[in-house]
Amino acid sequence: MSLRGGWSVLPIVGYVLLFALLPVALLFGGGLLAGGWAGWIDSLTQSPLNRQAFENSLEQGALSAALAVAIGYPAGVFLGRYTWPGRSAVRAFLLVPFLLPSIVVVLGILDLFGPSGTVSSALPALGVLGHGLPAIVAANLVFNVPIVILFTALGCESASAELEESAATLGASPARAYRDVWGPGSWLGAAAGGFLTFLFSAVAFATPLVLCGARCYTVEARIWYLDQYGFDPTGAALLALALFLFLVIPTALYLLLLHRLRSSSSSVRTRPRPGRVRSPLAYALAAETVALLGAIAFFLGTVLYRSLSPPGGGTFGAPWTQLFGPTATNLLGIPLVQVLANTLFFAAVAATIVLLLGIVAGYALGARPRLGTGLSLYVFLPLLISPVLLAFSLAEFWRPVLGGESTVWILIIVSQSILALPFALQSLQIPLAGLSPSARDSARVLGAPSWIAYLDTDLPRVRRGLRTAGLFAFALGLGEFTATYFLVTPNFTTLSVAVYDLQDLRQFPLAEAAAGLLLVVSLAVFAAVNYGGPRAEF
Amino acid sequence: MGVLVPSSEPPALEVHDLSVSLGRTPVLDSVSFEVAPGELLSLMGPNGSGKTTLLRAIVGLERPARGTVRLDGRDLREVPVHRRGIGLLLQEAALFPRRTVYENVAYGPLVQGRPLAEADTEAHQALELVRMQGFEERDPATLSGGERQRVALARTIAAHPRVVLLDEPFAAIDAGVRAGLRGEFRHVLAERGIATVHVTHDREEGLFLGDRVAILLGGRLRTVGAPATVHDEPPDVETARFLGYNVLPEGAGWVAFRPEAARLDPVGSAGPSVEVLAVGFTGRGSLVVVRSTSGERLEVELDRAAVLPRPGERRVLNWERSLRFSRRA
Repeated sequence: MSLRGGWSVLPIVGYVLLFALLPVALLFGGGLLAGGWAGWIDSLTQSPLNRQAFENSLEQGALSAALAVAIGYPAGVFLGRYTWPGRSAVRAFLLVPFLLPSIVVVLGILDLFGPSGTVSSALPALGVLGHGLPAIVAANLVFNVPIVILFTALGCESASAELEESAATLGASPARAYRDVWGPGSWLGAAAGGFLTFLFSAVAFATPLVLCGARCYTVEARIWYLDQYGFDPTGAALLALALFLFLVIPTALYLLLLHRLRSSSSSVRTRPRPGRVRSPLAYALAAETVALLGAIAFFLGTVLYRSLSPPGGGTFGAPWTQLFGPTATNLLGIPLVQVLANTLFFAAVAATIVLLLGIVAGYALGARPRLGTGLSLYVFLPLLISPVLLAFSLAEFWRPVLGGESTVWILIIVSQSILALPFALQSLQIPLAGLSPSARDSARVLGAPSWIAYLDTDLPRVRRGLRTAGLFAFALGLGEFTATYFLVTPNFTTLSVAVYDLQDLRQFPLAEAAAGLLLVVSLAVFAAVNYGGPRAEF
Repeated sequence: MGVLVPSSEPPALEVHDLSVSLGRTPVLDSVSFEVAPGELLSLMGPNGSGKTTLLRAIVGLERPARGTVRLDGRDLREVPVHRRGIGLLLQEAALFPRRTVYENVAYGPLVQGRPLAEADTEAHQALELVRMQGFEERDPATLSGGERQRVALARTIAAHPRVVLLDEPFAAIDAGVRAGLRGEFRHVLAERGIATVHVTHDREEGLFLGDRVAILLGGRLRTVGAPATVHDEPPDVETARFLGYNVLPEGAGWVAFRPEAARLDPVGSAGPSVEVLAVGFTGRGSLVVVRSTSGERLEVELDRAAVLPRPGERRVLNWERSLRFSRRA
């Protein structure tokens, strides 16, 4: 390599340092200075509510992840091992729940299993899924099952077809080939998906908040409560430090599994040739997959239908009209058009930041390929920082620096971009890692400066990755609720916050309509992501 | 290679009227041939001719649309891959990662349920046969390409196949190692009496290794026979082209001749005029690339004593032995 551009890694390193690591470190430092180590230990051991929050996080995370793996694994195998019509469309469709705003999923659970839910009205026994821990787990599963399916499929595809065929010609039965050749990859994928879903579920915020209440608060929700209602920022900071440490092991395990999954994927020279659906086992896997896809479609359909036609009666579509009327404006403090504009603006700017950082980081990786591993680990660090912790630290450190509440919109954008960074950059990392330096070197030899060579040769090849990264960041920003809710002031309300506020004000038809609107916007972004033809990578 | 086909023995492998489609695309059309125990059939054809699909259909990885595959007279239609007793060696050795060389070689006997002691003996014998003893504890990732292919052969042999299919196993091996390795493969497989189908797009390799050779073009088997016969008597113009013949249109058909049977005469001689495009030294002599007036690029091999033309000059092309093919209706 002749390029010398290692310096260009600085923007992304600096951004994460300034807007994530430093504020969080200062928050922890401040908490420890005020409370001391003894205070920290006491806050964890002496407070029954804090202990309860940890137990809730562990319980909700473990239960959600285990069930997601159990439900998602067969469909993941079906997706990764067999060829069937519409396979790539289904793969794309499975990204929808991941991109769904958490508050929409919460409302969807209430639509299905709540007091006047579509399902619970017909089958009252299933009303148990409308409240408390079962409801939280059900909501988590809406996000988690597709993630496990996609990771398991990736794991299945990481096994070499040649190896499997060789094993068969040596006498290995299909069961033995599963055990020896492709099974381990699928287990790896499912485990990686399991750990990621554990991370998501253990720090869930909207689900315990709406579906259960204080007795189900995760540590995430408890930190928010301590800061906003308990007026105990020191206690919140100390609890946040404990949460950070709590997340280290599952995050490390997830990254380790992801690394192994990538290594085995990249060592496979030819892509596997999935089999055709013939055997009874394949039919059983297909049935499970169809049932899951049907459930997701039913879930989305119900949210949309209920947003247009609330259970209490009224004209079809009336809630949507009211949403843009004076009632909603009075309730929210600003017109819904402005809420929508805020939502789109914040998400668009956050996505642009992520994209620019990705482009510059790509140049750095081209110049210094050895930076790759370190950089990818670094951009994963925000995974350790939960949305509430990020918002809390930004509010403590940056809000006074930037000049108070009028500039809170900057922090909302920053938080959305930091939270999207690890996921969005995944779409870029693989194409960037696979770039051949020869084209860039040829451009350099022909006289192009290194930046021009990068823009002319590498960037066009990762255009689809860039587009996916941008849209991914945009979609995550659209639906981001936790950090935004922590930071927001009425002027800067976003759609997901509006859904929660309207729900909290018991304006259910309006909340449903806002959720429906958010769903439609998210689906439009999904359609754009799908049009770009992304691979599901996390 | 010098192993003759024992004509009295019944064939180990019989492929009859085999047709395979991938999706809606027909890839193989009514392919039939037999291979005797200990015999090596070289199946040659250009990329995309259906060679690999044919091997995959024989081993059971592709389902034929029509036709049968028989092993020792037994129809394999309903026999799954792992019970067929047919070994497959690929261009990539496809050794199991995170298993030692020994564990790779012992894999076949073990998954077939043979006792541990027997599997151990089989593995050691197979490794000895391919001269890889002493490598038992090595990680396959630390082996060279040739060593990996030797281990792959040992692994295949240890599984006791009646038939082995070789899918261009030497294609990724350095030229210096390749010649010796293919000789070793041939020797080991013949010694074990294993019927072998070896596919390659390399004409020289196919003709060198095969007891008999077959040419597969466009999914159809054009000819099967002794290497010299196939080489000297291609049945049609496409096969002649694949075998390296120069082909020129002539009347209602074509005339085909070998580059080594061609010569370049001075302008004014009787025969078609050609333009010299390039001249290069080959070791044994020189290769001259020329272009006919009708645009065909042709090759002429000249010996070292010949006076070489320069690029751009014109010559008259003549040849000694030739074949004539008529256009099919």
